[in-house]
Amino acid sequence: MIPNPLALIAEITHRCPLHCVYCSNPLQMAGAKEELATGGWLRVFQEAARLGILHLHLTGGEPLARLDLKELVAGAHACGLYSNLITSGIGLSETRLKEIVEVGLDHIQLSFQDAREGPANWIAGAKAHAHKVALAATIRRFPIAFTVNLVVHRQNLDCLEEMITFIEQLQPERVEIAHAQYYGWALKNRDSLMPTREQLDNCLRIVEAAQQRLSGTMRIDCVVPDYYARYPKACMGGWGRRLMLIDPAGRVLPCHAAGVIPGMQFDNVLEHPLEWIWTDSSAFQRFRGEDWMPDPCRSCDRRSEDFGGCRCQAFLLTGDASATDPTCSLAPMHNVVENARLQAAGQGSASEVVWLYRPNPE
Amino acid sequence: MARPLGSSQPRFAPGCRWGKQGDDQVVLFPEGMIRLQGTGQSVLELCDGERTVEEIVGVLAGRFNSADPAKIREDVTAFLEALQQKRIVDY
Ligand code: SF4
Ligand code: SF4
Repeated sequence: MIPNPLALIAEITHRCPLHCVYCSNPLQMAGAKEELATGGWLRVFQEAARLGILHLHLTGGEPLARLDLKELVAGAHACGLYSNLITSGIGLSETRLKEIVEVGLDHIQLSFQDAREGPANWIAGAKAHAHKVALAATIRRFPIAFTVNLVVHRQNLDCLEEMITFIEQLQPERVEIAHAQYYGWALKNRDSLMPTREQLDNCLRIVEAAQQRLSGTMRIDCVVPDYYARYPKACMGGWGRRLMLIDPAGRVLPCHAAGVIPGMQFDNVLEHPLEWIWTDSSAFQRFRGEDWMPDPCRSCDRRSEDFGGCRCQAFLLTGDASATDPTCSLAPMHNVVENARLQAAGQGSASEVVWLYRPNPE
Repeated sequence: MARPLGSSQPRFAPGCRWGKQGDDQVVLFPEGMIRLQGTGQSVLELCDGERTVEEIVGVLAGRFNSADPAKIREDVTAFLEALQQKRIVDY
């Protein structure tokens, strides 16, 4: 029996006023004309709730770019979903926030690029930082859960302590310190984003001290980035096991990056019920379970914990989506990750960095 | 943060609430959900931001009249502290 999915990630638009150099959106983004209409999303939310999904993550792009966001939140709330808005905050006034909270928003996750204005705007490719700081104070006055999301990488990790102190002052219940993951635009910028081993060791030490100091006040979540871990992450909790992602045009994917894998067909919610897509569509069955696994995964004790790692990363780094995730130290192709780490260690200073910024689709 | 006091008034932290999974009542919070059973569920149902920990212990002691109130107090405060650390409960 296939268990229910637990969460739906709805990329309601790819439009975004920011240009973050680590954006996980695909290189081929959907334009405004392709986006699913309000009614389409509302029907999908109802189907999701019937399928047993509990959490809805409204993301993008920048979800605030959808003028019908309030209707979408209201619709999600009406069918019992727990709604989370993942946002850069650009386009959110106090009035708009109040409206969205009144119709049932449960949680807001606001992203920061840095504690310092200059470097923050450098990473975002836009003047966004000051607005975010002001917005955080507004958010805290509303009775919803507030999480700050901070993406860390080679260019900001040396200021981690300062960034944690900065975030503490914004008073969220949680902070998610997320190491940049190399998909989409981040893979293009990997050499300038990848931390050194030394930065990573410092990071773990700083996080541990902060977790102790702030226990019960601000919860800090941080995981070791997989390029430096011994074993890969259990990407999405396993292919087709917990999560579904719907892109702006209504195509349903097992994860953010699955679009890169050649030969896959992603069915659309306009043509098929969500339940059928979850249980029967070829995309969700492709890497579900263990039958597809190569050696050494198929005989490895960890296969029910990490499911052989990430399929997209396997494809991006080895050219074969069915290979063992090369971030695994047991993988036959682990050398590509070792080489990437060495290459990062040899990179120069920030002044020499040339970013490829994520563009805004029409 | 320390354990709740007898006079603390526990309640859900912002953005945490009851929800349904099928027929089961569950607690929903940003990172996921928990399914509580028995006493855990009773304790959380009594956490309305008005009742004090002492009053909650009193209600539960009345329900299980054989149990030792000191033991109930110990269990209730440990339970609330654990949920507070997860930022699901405030007091
Ligand atoms: S550009 Fe930045 S804010 Fe916009 S979707 Fe990408 S990561 Fe999020
Ligand atoms: S060999 Fe496969 S299953 Fe074992 S730890 Fe590595 S990726 Fe996971």
